[in-house]
Amino acid sequence: MSNTFNEPECPFCLRNIFYQINSKRILTDINIRIERSGITGIVGPSGSGKSTLLRLLNKLVSPSEGRILLEGQDYNTIPVRELRKRIGLVQQRPYLFPGTVRYNLQYGPKIWEVTHSEETLVDLLTRVALQKEFLDRDVDGLSGGEQQRVSLARSLANKPSVLLLDEPTSSLDIVSEEIIENTVKDLARDGTKIIIVTHSLEQTRRLTDHLLFLKEGRLIETVPTASFFEKYNEEEIRGFFKAKTKEDSL
Amino acid sequence: MTPIIPEDIVTLATDMFPRIITSIVLLLILIGLSYWQRIEMEKLFLISFTRGLIQIILMATILIVIFELQNLWILYIILLFMCSFAAITAKRRFPYPNIFQIELFSITVGSISVMTFVMIVEIIPTEGTYIIPMGGMVIANVMVMTTIVLERIVADVKKSKGIIEAALALGDTPWNAVRSITRDSFRAGLLPSTNRVAVLGIVTIPGLMSGMIIGGINPIEAAIYQVIIFLMILVGGFIGELIIGFFFIKELFTTEDQLRLALIN
Ligand SMILES: Nc1ncnc2c1ncn2[C@@H]1O[C@H](COP(=O)(O)OP(=O)(O)OP(=O)(O)O)[C@@H](O)[C@H]1O
Ligand SMILES: [Mg+2]
Repeated sequence: MSNTFNEPECPFCLRNIFYQINSKRILTDINIRIERSGITGIVGPSGSGKSTLLRLLNKLVSPSEGRILLEGQDYNTIPVRELRKRIGLVQQRPYLFPGTVRYNLQYGPKIWEVTHSEETLVDLLTRVALQKEFLDRDVDGLSGGEQQRVSLARSLANKPSVLLLDEPTSSLDIVSEEIIENTVKDLARDGTKIIIVTHSLEQTRRLTDHLLFLKEGRLIETVPTASFFEKYNEEEIRGFFKAKTKEDSL
Repeated sequence: MTPIIPEDIVTLATDMFPRIITSIVLLLILIGLSYWQRIEMEKLFLISFTRGLIQIILMATILIVIFELQNLWILYIILLFMCSFAAITAKRRFPYPNIFQIELFSITVGSISVMTFVMIVEIIPTEGTYIIPMGGMVIANVMVMTTIVLERIVADVKKSKGIIEAALALGDTPWNAVRSITRDSFRAGLLPSTNRVAVLGIVTIPGLMSGMIIGGINPIEAAIYQVIIFLMILVGGFIGELIIGFFFIKELFTTEDQLRLALIN
């Protein structure tokens, strides 16, 4: 099956990735070379395998076939916990640890025997549009959107070099969404590679540099965002975003 | 529990008739309640009680022989047989890989270690009369405690798989990610026996102690025996819980620290 030769010229590549659960195909023959920097968007209808792809990249699951390379190194040669720290994942749904927001933010660093200062914690909250008063709130009482933002801040606290975001603004108002998008742009500018799953055509336009389109577990198009909007007409673009959000259909 | 040697089968049968009827009525009530509440345990009740009845009648008839045993090897073999039987029973309810081996190992180590300890310190004589009923009690309880732990871990991991994966995604170890779950499961396993200790003598009047007192042993001595048995149950059970928790969590994750979702779904 997969051999483990390293290929130094490959920044972040997926080679012939297949993934199945109980003989049900979820991802089929995915080949991607993801650019080292910038923001890559993953778009596709519900159930097309976007979240599964992110789970593979964080190694919460392993492909049934094929290999993933990071900085030329085969995934299987990188210690898994180190890999997960490097490639942070913000899950589609915010699964927070029972306790305070502070506990959640310190959780990742604590694994690596780091304790963030009060200042760093407040800064993390600011970056996800939350006030410092939230630090000692119990996560039980948070709204869906607040939980989503704590979940993002929790991953940021680990200082990943690649950040996987699974619809991070799906339950946020326009103001918070904008703050989060700016944070994402700042991170990208400072060298963090961002891979973001989104259903929103507008967000794609505002945020991404490259786009990957998935459909029924297959990669159907990879294209720089700018060329995408030149290459296709309005109707074709809508077609790619079939499973569009309410925002886009207005 | 004195062995019944049927001298007169006819009087025996007439004597036992009301008891048999009562058993059937109670069993029917149990099955009826299960049916009414749709907990789907009717068949399990019927099978366990039929099996249990046959087993205990067989046991009763050979008890005299077993009680007279003094050979340590044979006693250990009987205890091991009891452990295997307990492990098979526990395994049936949990269709996970390697569960029989895990159950057998945890029940055996948990119960045999405390049994051996009390024999070494010579608190109980190495005679079938003591070893077998005591061993049986310890083994049965350790079995129950280990299955509570399994049940609890499965239910809680199912419920919190998102949180567990969130911890893994940050680079946490599987052990850390399930720490609160295993802790809760150990507690859940220990609680029923602990509760029985709390009401010991007031609500719980253990059969073994009663038997000893009837058999002419000093009541205080019999009472202390009983407390020792409960301590054996809790210590042996805790050991069994730790072992089953350790090996089951290992089964739940791959060597790449991934949660085996297919296993619990
Ligand atoms: N554990 C699982 N068991 C069975 N099927 C699964 C499992 N996880 C994912 N799938 C299936 O794999 C497919 C892809 O799921 P995935 O969550 O990756 O989709 P998605 O593109 O993220 O969808 P959405 O936009 O709705 O979040 C779906 O059909 C889903 O039902
Ligand atoms: Mg998804």
